[in-house]
Amino acid sequence: MAGADLKTASLSLQSVSRHFGPIRAVDGIDLDIGQDEFFSLLGPSGSGKTTLLRIIAGLERPSAGRVRVAGQDVTELPPYKRRIGMVFQNFLLFPHKTVAENIVFPLRMQNVARAARDERLRWAMKLLRLEGLAARYPNELSGGQQQRVSLARGLIARPAMLLLDEPLANLDRELRAEMEVEIRRYQKELNIPFVYVTHNQEEALTMSDRIAVMRGGVFEQVGPRDDVYRRPKTEFVATFVGQSNRLSGFVETVKNGAVAFAWQGHTLHVPHQGDIAAGDKAQFLIKYEDIEVAGAAGKGRSDHRSGNSLEGRLRDIIFKGQTANYIVSLANGAELIASASSRDHKVGIGEAVSLRWPETSGMCFRS
Amino acid sequence: MKRFPPLLLLAGPGILFILVTLILPLAAIFMFSFWRTESYELYADWNLDNYRTLMREPAYLVFLLRSGLGALATSLICLIYAWPVAYFIARHGGRYRLLLVLLLAAPFFTGVILRIAALQGILGPGGLINMALGILGFQPIAALMYTQTAATIGHVYLFIPFMVTAIYLSLVNFNFDLLETAKVNGAGPLRAFIEVTWPLNWIGTAIGIVLVFIPCLASAVTPRFLGGPRATSFGMSLGQQFGETGTWALGSAMGVVLFLASLAVLALMGLTVNLKRSGFTGMGTR
Repeated sequence: MAGADLKTASLSLQSVSRHFGPIRAVDGIDLDIGQDEFFSLLGPSGSGKTTLLRIIAGLERPSAGRVRVAGQDVTELPPYKRRIGMVFQNFLLFPHKTVAENIVFPLRMQNVARAARDERLRWAMKLLRLEGLAARYPNELSGGQQQRVSLARGLIARPAMLLLDEPLANLDRELRAEMEVEIRRYQKELNIPFVYVTHNQEEALTMSDRIAVMRGGVFEQVGPRDDVYRRPKTEFVATFVGQSNRLSGFVETVKNGAVAFAWQGHTLHVPHQGDIAAGDKAQFLIKYEDIEVAGAAGKGRSDHRSGNSLEGRLRDIIFKGQTANYIVSLANGAELIASASSRDHKVGIGEAVSLRWPETSGMCFRS
Repeated sequence: MKRFPPLLLLAGPGILFILVTLILPLAAIFMFSFWRTESYELYADWNLDNYRTLMREPAYLVFLLRSGLGALATSLICLIYAWPVAYFIARHGGRYRLLLVLLLAAPFFTGVILRIAALQGILGPGGLINMALGILGFQPIAALMYTQTAATIGHVYLFIPFMVTAIYLSLVNFNFDLLETAKVNGAGPLRAFIEVTWPLNWIGTAIGIVLVFIPCLASAVTPRFLGGPRATSFGMSLGQQFGETGTWALGSAMGVVLFLASLAVLALMGLTVNLKRSGFTGMGTR
């Protein structure tokens, strides 16, 4: 029922910029978001992601560029004419209105008849599991409840799209994990685009269909979450998304897109991104879980010609719950971390181990 | 050694202050209002004559109504004038906010009489406005010379800093981000003001109204200087009872009436405040 009367909506940004004096908070962003997409803007604080979101909402005017929602140019429209829902980090519920009054606020602003309002209210309260809280005031709610009220208010008027500005940042860990799943469920049920701003890579990876990693007002990489995670385009993306080991060395040879990477006397065979040539200084980044730890006994088994292998000694195991981080000291003094299931400890602390990963894992960037 | 109750030590000076400056004089006035004055002497024979006089003589009712309407007009003008001023300072004052608020208090550096005299110099027959009009060949504005209007102008001038300060103090604690929320959710600027800004700042505004209305209701000096013979206020008449005519008992009864009227205004304003709906406790995250 929900999908039928929602107008086909998508977002299109055309070289959108916002400059504050000499600071380019947002610098020439082009972006198209599809009707059914969960899209995340991921970046550290000050990367311009919130400014970009505020431009989409109409709370900030772009210095240049156009914003289109559902094919309509809304660049000149004030926020109250854009029919966009928004959820804020600090909830921003109206403290003098009850839960029900907060939720129906957008409908009242559109002068929707009371009967229709009540029906939509019931729908929103049910969707967000807020039944029984209608008469409460915001200060009588828990943080999670406040955030759900805020989501209900953002969704009740069937907006063309929902913007979320770090909505889970003020919630505790357990609740956050639960809400991540919930928010993605709402997006799939309502079939409208969600644009989600966060500095938390886990959140972005859990919920999104596509992710844009932002830094210094520009996109470092835009793509499906797997791509951003597995095939980072820049060193920044590789560092920011996931947990990686960083190896600094230089390029020995480049052959058929494969790099022979010299690092502390070892030669590693690794994939690369961007321009790179023999002799370049380079960084190789590989995610913890891409490295496999094996006891030294398994040495004979490994095929040295395909893949990389380093010998070391297991210094410590950091227990993380589902996984564990294996800290391995190499003969040259460097330490690498490998992550694996915490259940099968094949080796004990202090034992000799070998670290292995295929030639296709990790990514090498010119530095 | 027995320890002196520290709570009493802390609260003591405050209690003493209230007792000496508020309760005792009020009790005395209340008592005197049931007494009788003859030839500048108070006699303690308990009666209700003073209140009968106040009800029977139309002049006193006229004075009270005049003062009440004047206070109402002053409050409304102050309200309409002060809101934009306070809003501007709170929203756009930036680091000059405190300075701008202090500027409002600048007139307090001189005395009331001096300020009223200055106003007389502007509004009166030989004053700035009417003299300028005369030079330009216009008729002087009679409404500005010793009238109720002139008195009201004086009141607005005297009391507006209280209104601005009360609203300003409310607005600096107001979370302006809520306005963005209102706008994203479909409220235009006016609607956002009515739905969010006004109700969340009503307590401060109500305090401002009380701070202007009550002293204005009791005002005596301003109407005497600016109001002329046809603007005798309740406060002026009250002052006369303790001064020229020496009818202390009647004056005390007038004081009681004034006190009750002020309480009534306070209660009325209190009724308009719904603490739950004021956002007083709900600001939580900021």
